[in-house]
Amino acid sequence: MGFFGRNLPYLLAGISVGGQYALIAVGYTMVYGILRLINFAHGDIFTAAGFFMVYIAATMPLTLAIPLVIVLTVLLGFTVERVAYKPLRSAPRMSIMISAIGVSYLLQNLMWYVTGGLAKQYPSIPWISNSITIGGATTKVVTIITPILTVALVIGLVQLINHTKIGMAMRAVSKDFETSKLMGIRINSVISMTFIIGSFLAAVGSMLYFTNYSTVTPTVGAMPGLKAFVAAVFGGIGSIPGAVIGAFVIGICENIIKALGLTTFSDAFTFALLIVILLFRPTGLFGEKTSEKV
Amino acid sequence: MKAVKIVLALLLVAAGCVMFAACKGADNGIAGLVERIGASGFVKESHLAENNRAKILKNIDKHLDELTVEGSDATELFLYRNAHYGVALGAFLAALGAAIAVCALCAREKVRRAALGLALVAALFAGLYALETALGDGSMLITVLKKGVIYALIAVSMNLLNGFTGLFSLGQAGFMLIGAYTYAIFTIPQEARAQVYQYFDGGLVQFTLPVLPAIVLAGVAAVVFAFLIGLPVLRLKGDYLAIATLGFAEIIRALFQYDKLGPVTNGSNLLRKFPTFDTVLFPFAVVAVCIAIILLLIHSSYGRAFKAIRDDEVAAEAMGINLFLHKQLSFVISSFFAGVGGALLAMYQTTVQANAFKSSMTYEILLIVVIGGMGSVTGSVIASFLFIACSEWLLRFLDVEQFIGSVQVPLLRSGFRMVVFSIVIMIVVLFFRKGIMGDKELSLSWLTGGKKRKEGAVK
Repeated sequence: MGFFGRNLPYLLAGISVGGQYALIAVGYTMVYGILRLINFAHGDIFTAAGFFMVYIAATMPLTLAIPLVIVLTVLLGFTVERVAYKPLRSAPRMSIMISAIGVSYLLQNLMWYVTGGLAKQYPSIPWISNSITIGGATTKVVTIITPILTVALVIGLVQLINHTKIGMAMRAVSKDFETSKLMGIRINSVISMTFIIGSFLAAVGSMLYFTNYSTVTPTVGAMPGLKAFVAAVFGGIGSIPGAVIGAFVIGICENIIKALGLTTFSDAFTFALLIVILLFRPTGLFGEKTSEKV
Repeated sequence: MKAVKIVLALLLVAAGCVMFAACKGADNGIAGLVERIGASGFVKESHLAENNRAKILKNIDKHLDELTVEGSDATELFLYRNAHYGVALGAFLAALGAAIAVCALCAREKVRRAALGLALVAALFAGLYALETALGDGSMLITVLKKGVIYALIAVSMNLLNGFTGLFSLGQAGFMLIGAYTYAIFTIPQEARAQVYQYFDGGLVQFTLPVLPAIVLAGVAAVVFAFLIGLPVLRLKGDYLAIATLGFAEIIRALFQYDKLGPVTNGSNLLRKFPTFDTVLFPFAVVAVCIAIILLLIHSSYGRAFKAIRDDEVAAEAMGINLFLHKQLSFVISSFFAGVGGALLAMYQTTVQANAFKSSMTYEILLIVVIGGMGSVTGSVIASFLFIACSEWLLRFLDVEQFIGSVQVPLLRSGFRMVVFSIVIMIVVLFFRKGIMGDKELSLSWLTGGKKRKEGAVK
């Protein structure tokens, strides 16, 4: 086996993880684009989706469980926005961010309480957890499915944003919050829609992610959450294609670093990348330049 | 009138000193006393050697009816039993007398406030001493006080950055980690190194520093990292700064667990066997000095510049404040005290491991700052004690399954405490956004009868 053959498993894992990060990153970037809020709780909503699956799949067949998990996750995202962010609409931005951190803390503690702090086995979803062999590397079907599904979902989302009325409203709100309010756009429903889409993608992402990693713990979502946020910044916050490309880059780089035997630094790399990006191109790859108004 | 006041005050000082000296000596005769009352058989030699009050008294009380405690021995035993109250009261009276004397001698408001403040601090320490001796080592209250005061320092250091300078930084856990590790690495005794660094041939550092210099060094190490990271990061705005500092803390955490650095940091293994504190007075003393320095800083011209930057960056710059310099200054100072706090936390925990300094630790401290009130030092201190008391102690009952008759009380089981706790925090964050103190401080002005100082009188 040549160099390529040796590293193919890492590359495949990188693309797959990248796709999962991408699905989370879209949620971050959309919320940031509209509310200018780093939704620290997004990673925990992702984890919660994992736990919903664990508990629901134990009582009913997967064909029912999957849609139900998605609905519950969406409901959770929607509720979090209504309860924790909406009352702070006119408060300083720092307050909303603190509220997001508080929600994250609450969700983690709640999940710890419900599960007793034990790692739970994620149910295996048939077909996508089967093993296949590509070019000498054995992997799960989900590794191949993830990038395809991710790209398909993101293309769908971009169509939604560019060609529907609610998409247009979203773009307007992210351009100028106050003016779009004056133009008669119902801000609250647009924001709710953003959270619904974000949570939906996080739920799909969590199914793919946990099929790969198989155990769910209350704090498991924190790291992928932060990485997805870095991906969103890398691609230019507010830009959906940017977030997706950023996520793939991070996923692949991270696994290359693991292949080099520096596993300790695979997390650190992401943040080093963030700091470098913020210094040399603060708006990210595809972000728009903004100037500060006095 | 003034002369009378001064004489009375000095008498108070003298009385306090006498009382302090008399009661402080009460411990010395305990071995003889045990001998005389015939309790030698019941009290262990080792307890006598380390003067373990609680154990000695417990053993004496257990066999009290077999002992002959008469005459002067009874008085001595009584003194031994209650001397700590005398020590505390004596110290407090002396401090109070000194403060009254200073107030009588000097009419300047500033001096009076300082004197009264110091007297209050003395009272606090006297009270703590009495409390600790009375309750003994294993008491939950003492544990909460130890941990609470360390968190108070860290929360105040974070408040300096987030509340007073308006820099939303989430790197505190990283600086604490640096402080904790620096302290631990340089204070592990020579003879214990081979055991602690068993996988790394006894480690690279082969000398030991005394405790206090090591604590200062812990702060300095945090400062060096803060300076370097601040150069690029402080140019970022708002939430980008938050994420970059959070990322920095994660990098530090990974770095300290890196195997190649093992000879210094012991890789991902525990650091242990370094000196710790055995009295609650030690962390209180260190933290009191640190917070006093922070308070002086906040009331200096630098502090005003920090607040100006918080309120309006552009306006502050237009007024001639060097934005970057002041941000860097605030960042570095905050990190210094976070490093010192980390060192104290290491002493409290008796072991250190990098993996414990997760971002959730920073979140907890941030929530303490918010509960206390952004921009209030006293608020942060109060909130730290409340937070630690609730999470470690007062809400413990929520974690225990309970039955009324044969019916189990619903919901109560392991983990419920933290759920209730985080809901309370959310309520504070959402509905009491100003926290306990807002941006106000508990002040001494109502004690000295002086005029209330108004911040920002020019509107």
